[in-house]
Amino acid sequence: MSWLPLAHALAARQDLPVPAWLFAWGASIVLIVSFFALAAGWRKPRFEQANWRPLGAGISRTLLSAPAQALFGLVGVFLLGVAVYAGLRGTEAPDRNFALTFLLVTTWLGFPFFSALLGDIFRPFNPWRAVGRAAGAAFTAIAGQRPVHIAYPERLGRWPAAIGLLAVVWLEVVYGASGGVAVGLDPHAAGVATLVYSAYTLAMMALFGVEKWCERGEVFSVYFGMFGRLGCFGVNEGRLALRRPLSAATSWATVPGSVAVVIASIASTSFDGAQEGAFKNAMESVFDWIADAGIGLTTALRLTDTIFMLLCFAGVALVYLLGVRGMRTVPGAPSFAKLRVGFAHTLIPIALAYLVAHYFSLFVFQEQAQFTYLLSDPLGTAHTDLFGTASGGIDFKVLSANAIWYVQVGALVAGHVLGLTLAHDRALVYWPDYRRATASQYWMLAVMVAFTCFGLYLLSVSNG
Amino acid sequence: MKHSKTAFLLLVLVAALVLAACGGGDDDTTAASGGDSTATAPAGDETTAPETNTADTTLEKVPTIVVRKGEPVGGIQELEFDSGEQIRFKVSSDAAEEIHVHGYDIAKEVPAGGSVEFDFPAEIEGIFEAELEGLGVQIAELRVNP
Repeated sequence: MSWLPLAHALAARQDLPVPAWLFAWGASIVLIVSFFALAAGWRKPRFEQANWRPLGAGISRTLLSAPAQALFGLVGVFLLGVAVYAGLRGTEAPDRNFALTFLLVTTWLGFPFFSALLGDIFRPFNPWRAVGRAAGAAFTAIAGQRPVHIAYPERLGRWPAAIGLLAVVWLEVVYGASGGVAVGLDPHAAGVATLVYSAYTLAMMALFGVEKWCERGEVFSVYFGMFGRLGCFGVNEGRLALRRPLSAATSWATVPGSVAVVIASIASTSFDGAQEGAFKNAMESVFDWIADAGIGLTTALRLTDTIFMLLCFAGVALVYLLGVRGMRTVPGAPSFAKLRVGFAHTLIPIALAYLVAHYFSLFVFQEQAQFTYLLSDPLGTAHTDLFGTASGGIDFKVLSANAIWYVQVGALVAGHVLGLTLAHDRALVYWPDYRRATASQYWMLAVMVAFTCFGLYLLSVSNG
Repeated sequence: MKHSKTAFLLLVLVAALVLAACGGGDDDTTAASGGDSTATAPAGDETTAPETNTADTTLEKVPTIVVRKGEPVGGIQELEFDSGEQIRFKVSSDAAEEIHVHGYDIAKEVPAGGSVEFDFPAEIEGIFEAELEGLGVQIAELRVNP
């Protein structure tokens, strides 16, 4: 009986658990930083305004021009096509097939990491948006009128994306089970799933409009776009511009369902990190119990995983909502609903920190494969060498265990500080009285300390 | 300000829990650093630290993983090494198989009813699987600590 984390089938190496002394240091720093943050706060909100500084008109016009947009879109469509084709026609060895590394590592982890620095870089490359826009343009040219869409039910907000996000993670880490053992998603299944998702997405775009669906329901746009809100580039008044980092996050959560998206992100990373360590024993008990009830081993494993993934979602949501409930008790507080939405964006840095902490080493190692043998031999046939890099491989010596530990703990501490920064800033919007704002922040501090220390704990027991 | 006091107490409680967790971890710290000191001890200390006898090949007992009916006897074996040491272990099997050590990407054939010995430097830190390549069954977990 074993539980395997995301992309296990790809990774030939797993991280060592963070040693106790580093755990202690990390947790101590988090606590000290937290108490310091209460004392040394600024008194006027700073991140609510973007302070746009436009880039040169030439570069902006070039990158936003229709031919450039079409080119980016084509790149996206082409790469998606390669991934699907490799998944369906390539080798069934997961680590030798372009599809899994490209879908689960290069895009699924790469876009969050780089978007958090640069802004929403997925949007121009989004293959479904490109196809949808091309289809819309073709329709307009032929029919002589713009396509008509149904009004999107705004009450749904980003809920379709939140549920889709859980579904994607479920497919990655839960579905790949066989005979009671987690073996990971196989390339063929990944190819089929991508096709199914593409059909669903294009249908929804036809129904509600391309941009509307990208903002609300398209999982990857919403998920990568959330991290992009932390980044420092954006488009303002039709021009590419630098903005204050983090500032775009402040307006992210106003759409219903956004809270669920960020919680789903934290919960799914927690689940993946905990299934082999912190939750291992509990999961084995539940699995045995379900399997004893006469349910097939594969179903029992998937059921156990699903239960624990949903428990993670409920647990993360509960901690956050308790913090919000606490803030409600501070005199002058706005309504519970307003507070719940108002502080959701402060969890984005935490979600990013969890991703970096859990997948940084996988990303660094697997990208070496992506740009060597997977690039030259995408189907894994062993007799293709498109770019002469097919004989390359992964050099695991580029990262020592110590380097990985420092990145992991450093990411969690940094995420904690950024989360507190955003929370303090938002509190000053709701409580112009500085002392009340600080009082409300004891609660968010408790929430952040809980998430960060839980993150550290997961790292320290992974593989236990 | 009564409620902020409640919140403050909550925070102190969380802090106490974290510190307690750290305190619990202290034992591990000393144990781990103890392990390190024996590992990094100069070769002259061999008499006082029996674990460092790895250099002495004649006396050393190489861990052996026994494979029966495509399963490791006694479950997946956990082997621990320090970075820079030699990783040495044997696999004996009742059926012919290929043994593959992931990460290091070393594969060796074991004949039916025979055994095969692995001996290579621990250059990469992390956790690695050794498996029966044909069956895809994990037989050992190698841990290489820094």
